[in-house]
Amino acid sequence: MKINRRKLLSILGVSPAILAGSPALGDQKKKKAPPTAVEAKLETLNPKGMPPAVQLVPMAPRLDTLDGKTVFLVSDGFAGADRFLAQIAIWFQKNMPSVKTVYRLKAGSYFDDDPKLMAEIKASGNAMIMAYGH
Amino acid sequence: MQVEKMGFPTAPLVTIAFKDLAKSNAASRGMPLERICFLPHPMTNKSDEEMYKVLEGNDPITNKPLMPEMIAALTQPLTADEKKTGTISPDIGPPTYVGTQDELQRLYCDNNLTDFMPIILPTEEKVQAMLKGTSHKPDEVIGKLSAAQGAQPSWSFTVKHVAINAVMAGASPEYLPVILAISATGQPALFSSTSSFSRMVMLNGPISDQIKMNYGIGAMGPFAEPNAVIGRAWTILSKNLGGCGVPGLSYLGTLGSNFNYNNLCIAETENRLPDGWKPFHVQKGFKPDESVVSIFSGWSLNNVAWFPNMPYHELIKNWLTHFFSFGTSAATLLLDPTIAREAKEKGFNSKEELSDYWSKESKTPAWLYWDTHQPQLKQAQAGVEPYASYLKMGDGEIPFQRFYRRGRPGAPPDPNPKSSIEVIVLGGETNTYWAGGDFSYVTSASIDKWR
Repeated sequence: MKINRRKLLSILGVSPAILAGSPALGDQKKKKAPPTAVEAKLETLNPKGMPPAVQLVPMAPRLDTLDGKTVFLVSDGFAGADRFLAQIAIWFQKNMPSVKTVYRLKAGSYFDDDPKLMAEIKASGNAMIMAYGH
Repeated sequence: MQVEKMGFPTAPLVTIAFKDLAKSNAASRGMPLERICFLPHPMTNKSDEEMYKVLEGNDPITNKPLMPEMIAALTQPLTADEKKTGTISPDIGPPTYVGTQDELQRLYCDNNLTDFMPIILPTEEKVQAMLKGTSHKPDEVIGKLSAAQGAQPSWSFTVKHVAINAVMAGASPEYLPVILAISATGQPALFSSTSSFSRMVMLNGPISDQIKMNYGIGAMGPFAEPNAVIGRAWTILSKNLGGCGVPGLSYLGTLGSNFNYNNLCIAETENRLPDGWKPFHVQKGFKPDESVVSIFSGWSLNNVAWFPNMPYHELIKNWLTHFFSFGTSAATLLLDPTIAREAKEKGFNSKEELSDYWSKESKTPAWLYWDTHQPQLKQAQAGVEPYASYLKMGDGEIPFQRFYRRGRPGAPPDPNPKSSIEVIVLGGETNTYWAGGDFSYVTSASIDKWR
């Protein structure tokens, strides 16, 4: 029995146009896509605020040697910094006994200034090793 | 750096987890080549012997022996670059971007300008429409914002900057005074701490009804546009106006917090407060008809669904005794109006009376007391009272009231300390539930000032 394929497809709800076959993939690639409207470009604003300008600060002149010098070992108060600095003091005692170490806990939170300690270092220190805990 | 400025050489020691932070911090303070020596991370859990071994080992970044490197930091002559002076202006990119919708969405996302959800693209037209929500001039400088005041750079910003970020978050112009008030507090939604802070923002006064904040059913959930958008705007503006939220540089929270997406943006259910109970902003000195935003800081909340065989105020007292998190001395209770009404029926004529009761009557579990009172433990072991008696209580509850505002360490004790427990009433009265957490009150600001 000869089947009317077009009629059958219509009954199944499929467009008879499918019988025209689909072009090979290669053919599709060769054909250019139909032109579409060029997507509009927008101009939008940068949402960033104003970070402060940075004033470069020259570092302090270095010491010729640590021999005979006083090094302040300063903790910012976070857990563990005090114990680690104590080990540094022991290391200097063992390996560079001419270096005098002074341990101090900085007052306030880790980003607060401690003017009293700064004055003490200025009066009796030569250098500082500071440990930020964690 | 203060010591370097005084003319003394320094060698800062930082663990490698904070490498980027330490370097960017040094650069932002004007000393980009500061001679930082790095240590393994973490150090806090190491024994003294292990710490000494670290000293005998290498810097994990440079792979050079650590102690010689530390000594060289103090003694090796400066290079020309290390002696440089002058001013550097940070690069924040061009004033505008051009592209298709998709290209711009991708650009804002890739440049960490968003909360990584799609945004409304801030065209000049949309920003001008947003600016109609305030009488303030676009170029008015509002204030400063920083990921950690004192530790991170403080950025400045204008009304227009806030409006741009409000557009991005999806705000309507009538929300702008609220968002301006939040920004004017100088409080970032994203704080740099490793502890993953959360923030909470609450509205009081006529503004809540004017902009249709939801304070009924689902008051803390995604059920109303202003709750969603205002909270979101705070996070986005914190990134863009304060340099906050750059992982490893200005954000170090190890776990992070999902609350940061919306910052628990709520409004108090003022129309269902028990008789005599004041709205939160009135407790803080504002007039009832003023519109006010209040900021809280903390980490976590417990949502408690429990039907006790005791009054709720007693249940909450017991919860306070055993609740702990990062913070152990502040709490905020969010009560459904049904709970607030029961407390009123039980004789609490104000939030303050309830807060005082909880501060006075809650205790501290023994393990937590001793863990946070090591010097007292030594005194207890030496027979000093009352600590010796506390020690005899074993694993029980110590009569130590921890929910009081205390001064900074070393400050003289306050003879009349105030309760550190805040009480907020909100919710839709669908059940007798409440939430509590470690949030503490930070500040309040007028919204009316920014209309």
